[in-house]
Order: sequence, then structure tokens, then C-alpha cells
Amino acid sequence: MRVTRVSRRAVLAGVAGVGMAGATARRARAADEIKIGAVFPLSGNAAAIGQDAKRALETMADIINGHHDIPMLLGQGGGLAGLGGAKVRLLFADSQNNPQIARSAAERFITQDGVVAIIGSYTSATAVTISQICNRYQIPYISADNSSPSLNKQGLEWFFRPSPTDVDFTQAMFDFFAAVGAKTGEKVQSVAIIHENSVFGTDSARLQASLAAAAGIKVLANISYQANIPSLAVEAERLRAADADVLMPSSYTSDAILLVRAMHDAGYKPRAIMAQDAGFIDPAFIAAVGPLADGVMSRSAFAIDAVKERPAIPAVNTLFRASGANKDLNDLTARELTALQVLGDALNRAKSTNNMALREALRATDIKGDQTIMPWAGVKFDDTGQNVKSNPVILQQQNGEWRAVFPFDIATAPPVWHIKR
Amino acid sequence: MSAAIIAQVAIGGLLMGLVYAVVAAGLSLIFGLMDVVNFAHGALLMVAMYATLVIHRMTGLDPLLQLPLVAVLLFGAGVGIYRVLIARTLKTRGNAAMVQIFTTFGLSIFLVGAVQFLFGSDFQSINGSVLGGRTVTIGAITLALPLVVSGGVALLVFLALALLSRTEFGRALEATREDFEAVALIGIDRDQVFGIGWGIGTASVGIAGVLLANFYYISPDVGTNFALIAYVAVALGGFGSIAGALIAGLAIGLVEALTALVIDPSLKQIGIFLIYLAVLMLRPRGLFGRL
Repeated sequence: MRVTRVSRRAVLAGVAGVGMAGATARRARAADEIKIGAVFPLSGNAAAIGQDAKRALETMADIINGHHDIPMLLGQGGGLAGLGGAKVRLLFADSQNNPQIARSAAERFITQDGVVAIIGSYTSATAVTISQICNRYQIPYISADNSSPSLNKQGLEWFFRPSPTDVDFTQAMFDFFAAVGAKTGEKVQSVAIIHENSVFGTDSARLQASLAAAAGIKVLANISYQANIPSLAVEAERLRAADADVLMPSSYTSDAILLVRAMHDAGYKPRAIMAQDAGFIDPAFIAAVGPLADGVMSRSAFAIDAVKERPAIPAVNTLFRASGANKDLNDLTARELTALQVLGDALNRAKSTNNMALREALRATDIKGDQTIMPWAGVKFDDTGQNVKSNPVILQQQNGEWRAVFPFDIATAPPVWHIKR
Repeated sequence: MSAAIIAQVAIGGLLMGLVYAVVAAGLSLIFGLMDVVNFAHGALLMVAMYATLVIHRMTGLDPLLQLPLVAVLLFGAGVGIYRVLIARTLKTRGNAAMVQIFTTFGLSIFLVGAVQFLFGSDFQSINGSVLGGRTVTIGAITLALPLVVSGGVALLVFLALALLSRTEFGRALEATREDFEAVALIGIDRDQVFGIGWGIGTASVGIAGVLLANFYYISPDVGTNFALIAYVAVALGGFGSIAGALIAGLAIGLVEALTALVIDPSLKQIGIFLIYLAVLMLRPRGLFGRL
């Protein structure tokens, strides 16, 4: 009996000892690893985008942690100097492109994994739920690739978006119409809008309609459809009947493929397509529709051919390709990568993983454009957490490649523009 | 709105409806066997599309010529699924229906996950097929050739299924479904008959997959878009009824297209579900159901 009691105490002491050792080990680990949560659609209808986002973030983490010596902010590597060379560690969660799943994934990251910030999330509908959860727990949400303008108008204190919003993007489209019209004499007189009916497409279409009205351009059709529908044949028929100068779609990849094929089947070739990014910029779209994509224009936050002004692009692109992506950086992956760079810079300056210190550092962010791979003037957040220095570009598919065609000073090719009747 | 546009949209909708109908026919057939919905049906459609893609990439064989090959492959897969999984679920005591639902649901998750693991999540497509991107023009009506051919093949599938029900095997299938213990007395093996029934059901969804691969994108998630419509078509046409699946598929295709044209494209699924609700209220067993 006595023997048993002693041995029990010994066992208890042993267990306590192991527990304490574990706790110490965890604290030691925490000092050299900064956990960052990333919520993206890794399965489901947007899985292709999410998987690429994962590789883009891993590429940036590799740049921060490793020793690649790339000419940009944090490009020298070796971890975060402000935190004693701490390494960035990414945790990924699959949102399945479902706002509710995205919300619980974000909550789990915060309450169980103790992440310092969350990056997400491709679709704006999932960003709404993630950003609200982050706000409740007072953890920064870095919106990497959500472009819906309503996101930074939610009155959230913990929302930061380095990329442009659809307001900036859409304004750039109409600036381009005006500029190219003045240059060539082929002015845009009418547009047809087609959009998927969740937050992204609806916000985008509303903006396009109001900016068109402001520019005195007629909207001949404004078609809303449900995403991932089996057929877009009737929509294509309606667009053919409208026969506007420029077709302006806001669609994710699956629908972009269907729409362009359906227009082809209906014998309709729009004089110009100006896409709101998303599916139209997905390499899978170009691969699927082949020559039908030629001449498609899209707004973008990134121009891969702007190498003269942004010397870091080739090295970063090589790393990204080698990460398993086997494709060039595009608008989305470049934005995801840059979001982690911006967060890394703030952590570096905060010199702490304390949430208040991190938010102050994010608010004080002031990065020059040439320190990134983006063609922007820089990164500086306003009161709503929106970057005020991110100026978009217009790209065009020319002979199977994306070329920057606007603004003219950074353009690498003249736009192909034939909207004359 | 001109008559030509209405005609074009209506015919396009009916052709798409025939594709829906083939997907639904396989589902209805399997339902007829077990009185349980096969939740892996959309995933099997997706598997057929990937099979077409892989064969096309490896051999360059045009999707249209692959029709018999993929149909046989999927027939084998169907028999295999029945033998390995479904036959066992039929032996469970109590709540066999639930066991079957979870088994097919699990199979669906497995297939989608396996395909994403093997082929990645990128949207893929078959470029340069004989039919791909071609159109036919009849008067003022222009139709996508892959869709026209798909409609024709779909009709042949229904003809074959109708003939099948008149054969000895068709009668054995029906009898086994009614009372497998009684037919065992006259020497009919339930597992053999049901296995072939599963094979035929998945072979028809396989044919739908090949047809879709001609003009549709291919991704691990692609089955979901069609599975929901197939479930509605089966419920609308009557559980277990092949003719019901055909009529319901056509009705869905037509209503979807006309709703999009006349009212609003974002409401096109609402048209389908309104009809579905109306049928449920007035005739709960579906148009051709015998329950």
C-alpha cells in the first residue's frame, strides 16, 4: 500500500515534470516561430485558386525565412530581424469557399492555434465572415485578394487590405476607355455587364453601372446569374442581342470558361472584353478556352512584365514556379504573396507579436512601391485599413501572354483596340 | 425578342435537358433497385469526365470515340462498387437505408478527394476534339454541335434502357426489386442482378460524362452542378422511372432556358424548383412514380 502511494507520487511528479518541460519547449518554440493563419478554398469549386494561393504564401514565407537575397523588402531573408530572426510559420485551413466554414476555421486559428494574424481568402463572401471574427478577437485580418469595396466599409478596426478594391479597379477600366478613346478616336459608347450574383459580382456590376453612367456610356445589358450553373447559353444569347461595344464580365473560373464558350457557340464575338479579373485571369481559363481568350482585357494589381521598374519579379517568379505551381505569378498570387510581405514588415517593426503593437505597426505601414513586386506607388493604409497607394493596371491577352497596356507609362505593349462598328 | 431567338433558346434548353436526363436516368435506375439515392452519382459523373480526359491525353482518342470504352469502364466500376460496398450495406440489420446513404456519401467524398489528389484542383478541358467549338446553323438557329450530338446520343441511351426493360434481364431486375427472397427460390441471385443494375446505372452516367467532356470544363467539383439537377429530375419524374427521368430532364432544361430568357437569368433555378414544388404538392410520387 505504502509502496503504491510513493510510486503514485513519483508518477505524478514525473507527469508534472514532463508537462513543464513541454511548456518550456513550447515557449522556446514560440520565440523563433510566428504563426500566421491562412484561410483559402483548398477544395471545392475554387480549389485551384486556393491551392495556388497556398504556394504563393509559402513562397513568400520561404523568402522571409530563407536566404535568397531578392531586391525587395524582407528579400534578404534570415527571418524577421525585428523579432530576433524569428521564422514565419503558415497554418492553412480549407474554407471550401463557404462563409460559415471560413468563419469557424478562422476562429479555430485564433482560439486554438494562437495565430498572430489571418490572411485570406479569395472570395469576398468568405472575407466578410473571417474579418468579423478577427475583429471580435482583435486579431488583424490581412485581406490578400478580396476586392469587394464593401469589406473595408464594415467599420472594422482590424481589417487591412494592401490591394486595390473594385472601386479602384473599375475606375481604372473607365480611365482606360477614356484614354484609349482619345488616343485612337474609337470611343466606348456602350457596355454590357454580366456578373455572378454573390458579393463580388454584385458589387462589381453596381460600380460598373454607376461609373458608366458618370462617363456617359450606355449600359445595354446588366445580367446577373448564379455561379456554377451548368449552362450560360441563354446569357450569351442575351449578350449577343445587346451587342455592346465592350463586354464587362465579373465571373469566377468555371463560369468564365462556360461564358466564353457559350458566346462562341452563339456565334457572338464581342468587340472588346474588359473582365473584372477573377476567373478570366486564372491560367486554367486561358488553357481551357485557348484562342478564344485572345484580346481579353482585365484589370489587375500586378504586371509580370513590369520588370524594369520592379527588379524583384524574376527571382520571386522563379521561386513561385519551383514551389510546385509550375505557372507564372498572376494578379491573385502576386497579391497573396505581397499580403504576407506587408504583414511580415509590420511584425518586423512591431518587434512583438502583441496584437495591439501589431495593429499600430500595420497602421504605420509605409512601403515604397519598388520594395514590392507590385506596380503600385506603395503601401499606406487609410483609417478603414485600405491601401491608398495601390494603383491598378489593365492587362490584355496578346498571343497567349498577359501584357500591360495601361497606364501607358508602364505599358509594355499597345492595346489591341477595334471597337469601331 | 424574335421568334428565332426563342426557338434557339428553347431547342438549346431541350438539348441540355437530354444531358440532364441521362445523368438522372442512371440515378433513377439505381434508386429503383434499392429505394435509396446514390449520393456518389455526381462524383461518378466527374470520374467519367476525368477518365475521358486521361484517355484523350494518353492516346489522343477523340471523346466521341471513347463512348463505348468509358461506358464499359464505368459499368465495371458500378459492378465493383456494388460488390465491394453496396452488397455489404444490404446485409446490415436495421436502418439499412441510412447505412447506404452514408456509404455512397462517403464514396463521393473519397472519389472527389482522390481525383483532386491525383490530378490537382485546376480546371481542365479537352481541346481540339472533333466536336469541340463547332456549331450547326439551321435557318436562323445556331446550335453548338457537341450539344446536338449529346442530345442524339442521350436519346439512344433511353432507347437502349427502354429495350432493356423488355428483356429477360429487365424482368429479373424488376422481380428482384419487388421480392428478392421469392426470386431466390427460382434461382435468381440478388447480388448478380443488382450488380449488373449498378453497372448499367453508372455506365449511363459514364456516357453523360463523355458527352459533357466534349464541351464542359472538368474539375473535381464538377459533378455537384449536375447532381443537384439529377436529384430534382428523379423526384420530379418519379423515383425509379426511366421515362420519368427523360420527361423531367427535358422539362428542367426547357424551363431553365426560358426562365433565363424571359424573366431573369439569376432566377432560372427558381423556375425549376417551383415546378418541382408544384408536382410535389399535386402528385407527391412524381410524374411517373409508382410508389
